[in-house]
Amino acid sequence: MEEKQLIEKAQSGDKHALAELVKKYEQTIYNFSFKICRDKNYAEQIMQETFYSMVKSLHQFDHNAKLSTWLYRIVANHCLMMARKLKSRSFVSFDDEENLFEEKYAADWNSIPYNETENEELKSILDKAIQNLSPDYRVVFLLRDVEGLSTEETAQVTELSIPAVKSRLHRARAFLRKEINEAFSK
Amino acid sequence: MNKEKITCKEVMKHVCESLGENLNDEKCLEVKKHLDGCPNCREYFKSVEITIECYRKYNVEVPEEAHNRLMKMLGLEE
Repeated sequence: MEEKQLIEKAQSGDKHALAELVKKYEQTIYNFSFKICRDKNYAEQIMQETFYSMVKSLHQFDHNAKLSTWLYRIVANHCLMMARKLKSRSFVSFDDEENLFEEKYAADWNSIPYNETENEELKSILDKAIQNLSPDYRVVFLLRDVEGLSTEETAQVTELSIPAVKSRLHRARAFLRKEINEAFSK
Repeated sequence: MNKEKITCKEVMKHVCESLGENLNDEKCLEVKKHLDGCPNCREYFKSVEITIECYRKYNVEVPEEAHNRLMKMLGLEE
């Protein structure tokens, strides 16, 4: 069944159609939540809140929009709310952007095992690096670069202007690249 | 007109700003020309791509128990 039909059936109270929609997107939503908060328990909590919100407001869903974009907006909001609630650490400040492009170290990027998806050392470095970024920056980087949304879609989901998305994105990319470079230079 | 040459730092910044944007303006052409002749900036470009690739490949699966708890919470168990 096509997604449009599933949504219409779910909107009219068909539980089977609703369950199909949840199953279709749960992996994406859980993975995205984990990538923002880097914690499986919080990721599960955010996934539950996201689908609860979806079920509650599915009747308002506009068929001209994409369901995935709509869900990204809901999950991104829940991730940011969770981050505000947990606010237990400080994040990198970009007051002096020039620092992002100062090269004090030189890692051998050819030796970074980015194809080994289960490499625990790499995972730990990636977790630590992204946790230094404020969640507002993480959301933009993950939507645009990891989930593959366009700049315009990212702006729509985050309710930011296109220049603001671009600014957060280039800082996030430069910062994460710098952190990985330093970690692999040691 | 004698324009100053683009610096490596400007190129690095541009790489971070424009990656994935398929731009063809004058600045991009200048950056592409610089990259052709500068191994350090080419390495930087590659390193930004690897950074993104690392985060793309780091994925987690929904645990079965988490899936079951979600369906139960929504009243959608089979």
